[in-house]
Amino acid sequence: MNQRYPITIYQEPDLHQSSLVLAWSEDAGDLGRKVTDYLTLKLKGQEFAEIEPDDFFPMGGVAIKDNIARFPESKFYACSEHELVICQSDSPGAEWYKFLSSVLDVAERHCLVKELYVIGAMVSFSAHTTPRQSLAVVNLPEMKEILSQYDLNRDMDYQTQPGERPTLNSFLLWLARERNIPGVSVWVPIPFYLAAMEDAQAQKKVLSFLNERLGLRIDFCDLDQEIRRQNEQLALARSRFPQIDDYINRLESNLMLSQEENGELIKKIEEFLGEGD
Amino acid sequence: MGIRLCQEPQLENPILIASWPGIGNIGIIAVDTLRGKLEAEEFGEIEPQEFFYPKRVLIRKGVLECLEFPSSKFYFKKIRGTDIIFFIGEEQPAEGGRMYAEGRKACRMAGLVLDVAEKFKCRRVYTSGAAVALIHHTAKPRVWAVPNSGSLISEIKAYQNTVLMSDIEGRGGHGNITGLNGLLLGVAKKRGVEAICLMGEIPVYLQGFPLSYPKASKSVLEVLSYSLKIEVNLDTLDELDQKVQQRIEEFYQQVPLEIRAQLDRLKRVAYAQPAEPGPITEEEEKRIVEDVEKFFKKRGEGG
Repeated sequence: MNQRYPITIYQEPDLHQSSLVLAWSEDAGDLGRKVTDYLTLKLKGQEFAEIEPDDFFPMGGVAIKDNIARFPESKFYACSEHELVICQSDSPGAEWYKFLSSVLDVAERHCLVKELYVIGAMVSFSAHTTPRQSLAVVNLPEMKEILSQYDLNRDMDYQTQPGERPTLNSFLLWLARERNIPGVSVWVPIPFYLAAMEDAQAQKKVLSFLNERLGLRIDFCDLDQEIRRQNEQLALARSRFPQIDDYINRLESNLMLSQEENGELIKKIEEFLGEGD
Repeated sequence: MGIRLCQEPQLENPILIASWPGIGNIGIIAVDTLRGKLEAEEFGEIEPQEFFYPKRVLIRKGVLECLEFPSSKFYFKKIRGTDIIFFIGEEQPAEGGRMYAEGRKACRMAGLVLDVAEKFKCRRVYTSGAAVALIHHTAKPRVWAVPNSGSLISEIKAYQNTVLMSDIEGRGGHGNITGLNGLLLGVAKKRGVEAICLMGEIPVYLQGFPLSYPKASKSVLEVLSYSLKIEVNLDTLDELDQKVQQRIEEFYQQVPLEIRAQLDRLKRVAYAQPAEPGPITEEEEKRIVEDVEKFFKKRGEGG
């Protein structure tokens, strides 16, 4: 296999017993990107390394998002004061083992990482007004014990269904376990009609856990304001469009919508919130 | 990372038989059936992480208990002077949704399989796959054989129901074998190990059919068991074939009449020699394939 080392280190970080928070850029509700951007900004993270994309992403052209050409990125930021490493990355499309091993190489060799936190969003068929419950999957039983004092559902049972494959988060947790790095994958449900947009409540759910667990002492007043703004917008949508209100009412009553109704709700919410932007 | 052997059997004059999934799973069913019939014993594997994305995760009470990868296992069976090593790959290490492996990963895996073959001094390697052919599903599939050395041709000519590429009309001895079932031959040649690929024929209109084609696996196994001078009871393959043929017939009756009429003409295909005129002209062959492709495309669009 190709022996070229795909990691570029710009500056050795000053970390001695750090935690790594990793998220993928293309999550539902843009959760991973928003959470890692927020942490990097608030904690003044300094970019210190990246994984070169050539081996891991199709290089047949560029993707365009919000009118801007994108190039796959896998970047690491150090927050030395908090013994925190943040990795924000596009999901690789090939050579997953080599990619994830590279992530763990950076974590182990350059940051002396002792714990791993992976962020994941899952699309939920519930209303945005339903209180969020984070799910945690750990790679070592002792990690489950450590997390017992936090507001996380730690008893999930799951196995891959026919036709599906495990998530990259599971693959990463597994490889971390092989290196004896305790890790947890934190999953937050995103209402399906916000999956293509942003979900400030979900962001706060993850960030609050990390804040408490890693002792980051972040003040979330700006995020609270964003949650209020989004809730007000959604409330406005409900008051202006009885059909939106009806659909959300039914979701709040734990009733399922038909596939067509789901599609219609997504379309109407996206149109409404898109106008607001 | 590479090969993990849990034991090192003492083998006499061994050969290696390898297969990965492919069209109709013809090769892998043949090889796995033989492995099962001979009750070959597992003795090693190729470590999967660098080749495959995991296939299954098990989370119990919030703890990631198990992550399973497609397996690539070695088995052995000692048989009176012709010991056999089996290699069975559950998946080809393909990327981007492709069925077949190619490039660095494919070469690396082929190399690891041959490392084991050489370690145990295998004198020959067999692989097996599918040959897409203009035949009808009621016909007995032939076996197309491709060696990696000219010195094997005379031996192959003695096999029953077997043809070389040069015996197949219009091919002039040329062709290609996609994926690892073919690549292994090339890598073996580079290392000076003789190898033969045995490909069971599958009707052209069934190459995209989501079922195995055990009738062709049986043809392959007949040749393989002749070549290895071992007797194998193939009843289980016959039973499997009956079930599959029933499904194929159900499908066949749904094919529009005009296309079925074209396909029915394949029943009359005799295995013509290159110099002899066949019952279906080259132009007709082309039309049949085009019609079938159109039909499948239309079905696909219709959901």
